[in-house]
Amino acid sequence: MSYQSYVIAAYGVFAVVLLWDFVAPRIEIARQLRAARLRAARRTSRAAESELTRTDSERQVSE
Amino acid sequence: MNPIVRWFHQLGSPPYFDRFAARWAPVAYVLAILVMAYGLWAALFQVPADYQQGDSFRILYIHVPSAWMSMFVFGLMAFYAAIALVWRIKLCEILAMACAPIGAAFTVITLATGSIWGKPMWGTWWDWDPRLTTELILLFLYLGIIGLYNAIEDRRAAARAAGLLAIVGVALLPVIRYSVVWWNSLHQGQTISVFGQSQMDASMLPPLFAMIAATKLWFIGSLLARARADNLRREAGKDWVLRLAKPEAAR
Repeated sequence: MSYQSYVIAAYGVFAVVLLWDFVAPRIEIARQLRAARLRAARRTSRAAESELTRTDSERQVSE
Repeated sequence: MNPIVRWFHQLGSPPYFDRFAARWAPVAYVLAILVMAYGLWAALFQVPADYQQGDSFRILYIHVPSAWMSMFVFGLMAFYAAIALVWRIKLCEILAMACAPIGAAFTVITLATGSIWGKPMWGTWWDWDPRLTTELILLFLYLGIIGLYNAIEDRRAAARAAGLLAIVGVALLPVIRYSVVWWNSLHQGQTISVFGQSQMDASMLPPLFAMIAATKLWFIGSLLARARADNLRREAGKDWVLRLAKPEAAR
Protein backbone atom coordinates (compact mmCIF):
# COMPACT_ATOMS: atom_id res chain seq x y z
CA MET A 1 0.00 0.00 0.00
CA SER A 2 1.40 3.40 -0.99
CA TYR A 3 1.40 6.22 1.60
CA GLN A 4 0.65 3.52 4.20
CA SER A 5 1.82 5.54 7.21
CA TYR A 6 -0.47 8.46 6.27
CA VAL A 7 -3.46 6.17 5.82
CA ILE A 8 -2.77 4.46 9.16
CA ALA A 9 -2.35 7.83 10.93
CA ALA A 10 -5.62 9.18 9.50
CA TYR A 11 -7.62 6.07 10.40
CA GLY A 12 -5.93 6.05 13.83
CA VAL A 13 -7.10 9.62 14.51
CA PHE A 14 -10.61 8.63 13.41
CA ALA A 15 -10.64 5.62 15.76
CA VAL A 16 -9.21 7.50 18.75
CA VAL A 17 -11.64 10.44 18.46
CA LEU A 18 -14.66 8.14 18.05
CA LEU A 19 -13.47 6.04 20.99
CA TRP A 20 -13.29 9.19 23.12
CA ASP A 21 -16.76 10.18 21.88
CA PHE A 22 -18.05 6.75 22.93
CA VAL A 23 -16.39 6.65 26.37
CA ALA A 24 -16.90 10.28 27.53
CA PRO A 25 -20.71 10.20 27.95
CA ARG A 26 -20.50 6.78 29.62
CA ILE A 27 -18.07 8.14 32.22
CA GLU A 28 -20.35 11.15 32.79
CA ILE A 29 -23.46 8.95 33.21
CA ALA A 30 -21.61 6.69 35.67
CA ARG A 31 -20.40 9.79 37.59
CA GLN A 32 -23.92 11.23 37.81
CA LEU A 33 -25.40 7.93 38.98
CA ARG A 34 -22.63 7.52 41.58
CA ALA A 35 -23.29 11.06 42.86
CA ALA A 36 -27.00 10.25 43.06
CA ARG A 37 -26.23 7.04 44.97
CA LEU A 38 -24.11 8.97 47.49
CA ARG A 39 -26.84 11.61 47.78
CA ALA A 40 -29.39 8.89 48.48
CA ALA A 41 -27.13 7.32 51.11
CA ARG A 42 -26.63 10.71 52.82
CA ARG A 43 -30.36 11.34 52.75
CA THR A 44 -31.05 7.93 54.30
CA SER A 45 -28.46 8.38 57.08
CA ARG A 46 -29.72 11.93 57.81
CA ALA A 47 -33.26 10.64 58.09
CA ALA A 48 -32.17 7.92 60.52
CA GLU A 49 -30.18 10.44 62.58
CA SER A 50 -33.04 12.93 62.88
CA GLU A 51 -35.35 10.11 63.89
CA LEU A 52 -33.00 9.17 66.79
CA THR A 53 -32.73 12.80 67.94
CA ARG A 54 -36.47 13.17 67.97
CA THR A 55 -36.84 10.07 70.05
CA ASP A 56 -34.28 11.35 72.60
CA SER A 57 -35.88 14.80 72.88
CA GLU A 58 -39.28 13.26 73.17
CA ARG A 59 -37.95 11.10 75.96
CA GLN A 60 -36.51 14.19 77.77
CA VAL A 61 -39.80 16.04 77.43
CA SER A 62 -41.70 13.11 78.86
CA GLU A 63 -39.21 12.86 81.79
CA MET B 1 -54.42 13.38 20.97
CA ASN B 2 -52.43 12.26 17.94
CA PRO B 3 -50.06 9.43 19.08
CA ILE B 4 -47.00 11.16 17.53
CA VAL B 5 -47.79 14.46 19.26
CA ARG B 6 -48.37 12.56 22.52
CA TRP B 7 -45.02 10.78 22.09
CA PHE B 8 -43.28 14.16 21.61
CA HIS B 9 -44.92 15.45 24.77
CA GLN B 10 -43.85 12.32 26.67
CA LEU B 11 -40.30 12.69 25.38
CA GLY B 12 -40.15 16.08 27.13
CA SER B 13 -40.45 14.29 30.47
CA PRO B 14 -36.90 13.76 31.88
CA PRO B 15 -37.49 10.21 33.23
CA TYR B 16 -39.19 9.16 29.98
CA PHE B 17 -36.32 10.62 27.93
CA ASP B 18 -33.79 8.83 30.14
CA ARG B 19 -35.47 5.47 29.50
CA PHE B 20 -35.74 6.28 25.76
CA ALA B 21 -32.06 7.26 25.47
CA ALA B 22 -30.85 4.30 27.54
CA ARG B 23 -32.79 1.97 25.26
CA TRP B 24 -32.00 3.40 21.82
CA ALA B 25 -28.41 4.69 22.14
CA PRO B 26 -26.90 1.16 22.20
CA VAL B 27 -29.05 0.17 19.18
CA ALA B 28 -27.76 3.16 17.19
CA TYR B 29 -24.16 2.38 18.20
CA VAL B 30 -24.46 -1.28 17.17
CA LEU B 31 -25.96 -0.34 13.79
CA ALA B 32 -23.25 2.32 13.32
CA ILE B 33 -20.47 -0.17 14.09
CA LEU B 34 -21.91 -2.78 11.70
CA VAL B 35 -22.26 -0.31 8.82
CA MET B 36 -18.89 1.25 9.64
CA ALA B 37 -17.21 -2.19 9.68
CA TYR B 38 -18.40 -2.78 6.10
CA GLY B 39 -17.49 0.78 5.05
CA LEU B 40 -13.97 0.60 6.50
CA TRP B 41 -13.31 -2.86 5.11
CA ALA B 42 -14.44 -1.82 1.63
CA ALA B 43 -12.58 1.51 1.86
CA LEU B 44 -9.30 -0.12 2.86
CA PHE B 45 -9.34 -3.43 1.00
CA GLN B 46 -12.03 -3.53 -1.67
CA VAL B 47 -11.86 -0.36 -3.73
CA PRO B 48 -8.88 0.05 -6.07
CA ALA B 49 -6.20 2.66 -5.40
CA ASP B 50 -6.58 5.98 -7.18
CA TYR B 51 -4.43 6.22 -10.32
CA GLN B 52 -3.02 9.61 -9.28
CA GLN B 53 -3.19 9.70 -5.48
CA GLY B 54 -2.44 6.04 -4.86
CA ASP B 55 -3.74 4.69 -1.55
CA SER B 56 -3.75 8.10 0.16
CA PHE B 57 -7.16 8.71 -1.44
CA ARG B 58 -8.58 6.13 1.04
CA ILE B 59 -8.42 8.89 3.67
CA LEU B 60 -11.41 10.53 1.99
CA TYR B 61 -13.66 7.73 3.28
CA ILE B 62 -13.31 9.14 6.78
CA HIS B 63 -12.54 12.76 5.86
CA VAL B 64 -15.60 13.49 3.72
CA PRO B 65 -18.27 11.91 6.01
CA SER B 66 -16.69 13.69 9.01
CA ALA B 67 -16.66 17.02 7.17
CA TRP B 68 -20.31 16.63 6.24
CA MET B 69 -21.12 15.69 9.85
CA SER B 70 -19.22 18.71 11.21
CA MET B 71 -21.59 21.00 9.28
CA PHE B 72 -24.75 18.91 9.65
CA VAL B 73 -24.34 18.71 13.44
CA PHE B 74 -23.84 22.47 13.67
CA GLY B 75 -27.01 23.10 11.66
CA LEU B 76 -28.97 20.66 13.83
CA MET B 77 -27.57 22.22 17.00
CA ALA B 78 -28.72 25.68 15.85
CA PHE B 79 -32.15 24.23 14.97
CA TYR B 80 -32.56 22.74 18.47
CA ALA B 81 -31.23 25.96 20.02
CA ALA B 82 -33.78 28.03 18.07
CA ILE B 83 -36.64 25.79 19.26
CA ALA B 84 -35.31 26.00 22.82
CA LEU B 85 -35.09 29.79 22.66
CA VAL B 86 -38.57 30.27 21.19
CA TRP B 87 -40.57 27.62 23.07
CA ARG B 88 -38.30 27.12 26.11
CA ILE B 89 -38.30 23.35 25.68
CA LYS B 90 -35.74 21.95 28.11
CA LEU B 91 -35.10 18.80 26.09
CA CYS B 92 -34.16 20.91 23.05
CA GLU B 93 -31.63 22.83 25.18
CA ILE B 94 -30.14 19.50 26.27
CA LEU B 95 -30.05 18.13 22.71
CA ALA B 96 -28.52 21.34 21.33
CA MET B 97 -25.75 21.30 23.92
CA ALA B 98 -25.16 17.57 23.44
CA CYS B 99 -24.55 18.22 19.74
CA ALA B 100 -21.56 20.52 20.41
CA PRO B 101 -18.90 18.00 21.55
CA ILE B 102 -19.92 15.50 18.85
CA GLY B 103 -19.69 18.16 16.16
CA ALA B 104 -16.35 19.29 17.56
CA ALA B 105 -15.10 15.69 17.44
CA PHE B 106 -16.08 15.37 13.77
CA THR B 107 -14.46 18.73 13.01
CA VAL B 108 -11.22 17.58 14.67
CA ILE B 109 -11.30 14.40 12.56
CA THR B 110 -11.92 16.49 9.41
CA LEU B 111 -9.03 18.86 10.09
CA ALA B 112 -6.61 16.13 11.22
CA THR B 113 -7.33 13.70 8.38
CA GLY B 114 -7.29 16.54 5.83
CA SER B 115 -3.94 17.63 7.16
CA ILE B 116 -2.56 14.08 7.03
CA TRP B 117 -3.78 13.73 3.44
CA GLY B 118 -2.44 17.19 2.54
CA LYS B 119 1.14 16.39 3.50
CA PRO B 120 1.82 13.84 0.74
CA MET B 121 -0.57 15.40 -1.81
CA TRP B 122 0.01 19.15 -1.34
CA GLY B 123 3.40 18.90 0.31
CA THR B 124 2.23 20.71 3.43
CA TRP B 125 0.35 19.85 6.62
CA TRP B 126 -1.58 23.13 6.61
CA ASP B 127 -2.41 26.03 4.32
CA TRP B 128 -4.48 29.13 5.10
CA ASP B 129 -6.85 28.13 2.35
CA PRO B 130 -10.50 29.37 2.57
CA ARG B 131 -11.95 25.88 3.12
CA LEU B 132 -9.40 24.91 5.77
CA THR B 133 -9.60 28.26 7.54
CA THR B 134 -13.41 28.31 7.68
CA GLU B 135 -13.44 24.73 8.97
CA LEU B 136 -10.96 25.78 11.68
CA ILE B 137 -13.27 28.70 12.60
CA LEU B 138 -16.10 26.12 12.86
CA LEU B 139 -14.01 24.19 15.41
CA PHE B 140 -13.43 27.40 17.39
CA LEU B 141 -17.18 28.07 17.33
CA TYR B 142 -17.86 24.58 18.68
CA LEU B 143 -15.26 25.10 21.42
CA GLY B 144 -16.76 28.52 22.21
CA ILE B 145 -20.23 26.99 22.59
CA ILE B 146 -18.92 24.19 24.83
CA GLY B 147 -16.92 26.70 26.91
CA LEU B 148 -19.83 29.12 27.26
CA TYR B 149 -22.21 26.34 28.29
CA ASN B 150 -19.84 25.15 31.00
CA ALA B 151 -18.88 28.65 32.19
CA ILE B 152 -22.35 29.66 33.42
CA GLU B 153 -23.63 27.87 36.51
CA ASP B 154 -27.35 28.14 35.74
CA ARG B 155 -27.80 25.38 33.14
CA ARG B 156 -30.81 26.98 31.47
CA ALA B 157 -29.19 30.42 31.17
CA ALA B 158 -26.01 28.75 29.93
CA ALA B 159 -27.92 26.80 27.27
CA ARG B 160 -29.71 29.96 26.10
CA ALA B 161 -26.43 31.92 25.79
CA ALA B 162 -24.61 29.07 24.02
CA GLY B 163 -27.66 28.42 21.84
CA LEU B 164 -27.65 32.02 20.68
CA LEU B 165 -23.99 31.64 19.68
CA ALA B 166 -24.92 28.49 17.74
CA ILE B 167 -27.70 30.32 15.87
CA VAL B 168 -25.38 33.18 14.94
CA GLY B 169 -22.68 30.70 13.91
CA VAL B 170 -24.95 29.09 11.30
CA ALA B 171 -23.96 31.95 8.99
CA LEU B 172 -20.58 30.22 8.67
CA LEU B 173 -22.03 27.04 7.11
CA PRO B 174 -22.71 28.42 3.59
CA VAL B 175 -19.30 30.11 3.69
CA ILE B 176 -17.64 26.74 4.33
CA ARG B 177 -19.80 25.04 1.69
CA TYR B 178 -19.12 27.59 -1.06
CA SER B 179 -15.61 28.64 -0.04
CA VAL B 180 -14.16 26.52 -2.86
CA VAL B 181 -16.44 28.28 -5.36
CA TRP B 182 -16.15 31.86 -4.13
CA TRP B 183 -12.39 31.97 -3.73
CA ASN B 184 -9.31 30.46 -5.35
CA SER B 185 -8.79 27.43 -3.19
CA LEU B 186 -6.16 24.74 -2.89
CA HIS B 187 -8.94 22.45 -1.73
CA GLN B 188 -10.68 20.69 -4.61
CA GLY B 189 -14.28 21.53 -5.47
CA GLN B 190 -17.26 19.24 -5.12
CA THR B 191 -16.55 15.76 -6.52
CA ILE B 192 -19.29 13.80 -4.74
CA SER B 193 -22.99 14.37 -5.14
CA VAL B 194 -25.54 12.28 -3.25
CA PHE B 195 -28.38 13.01 -5.68
CA GLY B 196 -26.57 14.02 -8.89
CA GLN B 197 -23.67 12.71 -10.94
CA SER B 198 -20.47 12.27 -8.91
CA GLN B 199 -17.05 12.80 -10.46
CA MET B 200 -15.76 9.73 -8.64
CA ASP B 201 -15.91 6.33 -10.25
CA ALA B 202 -19.04 4.40 -9.27
CA SER B 203 -16.93 1.52 -7.88
CA MET B 204 -15.50 3.88 -5.25
CA LEU B 205 -18.85 5.21 -4.00
CA PRO B 206 -20.52 2.38 -1.99
CA PRO B 207 -18.03 2.50 0.94
CA LEU B 208 -18.40 6.27 1.04
CA PHE B 209 -22.19 6.08 1.28
CA ALA B 210 -21.79 3.38 3.96
CA MET B 211 -19.50 5.65 5.97
CA ILE B 212 -21.92 8.56 5.57
CA ALA B 213 -24.73 6.37 6.95
CA ALA B 214 -22.47 5.00 9.72
CA THR B 215 -21.44 8.46 10.94
CA LYS B 216 -25.12 9.51 11.04
CA LEU B 217 -26.00 6.43 13.12
CA TRP B 218 -23.00 7.04 15.37
CA PHE B 219 -24.17 10.60 15.86
CA ILE B 220 -27.63 9.41 16.94
CA GLY B 221 -26.09 7.04 19.52
CA SER B 222 -23.69 9.65 20.81
CA LEU B 223 -26.36 12.37 20.92
CA LEU B 224 -28.67 10.17 22.99
CA ALA B 225 -25.86 9.14 25.37
CA ARG B 226 -24.63 12.72 25.87
CA ALA B 227 -28.15 14.10 26.25
CA ARG B 228 -28.87 11.40 28.82
CA ALA B 229 -25.77 12.40 30.81
CA ASP B 230 -26.77 16.09 30.77
CA ASN B 231 -30.37 15.21 31.64
CA LEU B 232 -29.14 13.26 34.70
CA ARG B 233 -26.89 16.18 35.70
CA ARG B 234 -29.77 18.66 35.50
CA GLU B 235 -32.15 16.36 37.35
CA ALA B 236 -29.65 15.40 40.08
CA GLY B 237 -31.47 15.16 43.41
CA LYS B 238 -34.83 14.26 41.88
CA ASP B 239 -36.45 11.09 43.16
CA TRP B 240 -36.44 9.33 39.79
CA VAL B 241 -32.65 9.78 39.51
CA LEU B 242 -32.16 8.42 43.03
CA ARG B 243 -34.37 5.45 42.21
CA LEU B 244 -32.40 4.88 39.02
CA ALA B 245 -29.05 5.11 40.81
CA LYS B 246 -29.94 2.88 43.71
CA PRO B 247 -33.35 1.25 43.59
CA GLU B 248 -33.08 0.04 47.20
CA ALA B 249 -32.41 3.59 48.46
CA ALA B 250 -35.88 4.69 47.42
CA ARG B 251 -37.66 1.96 49.39
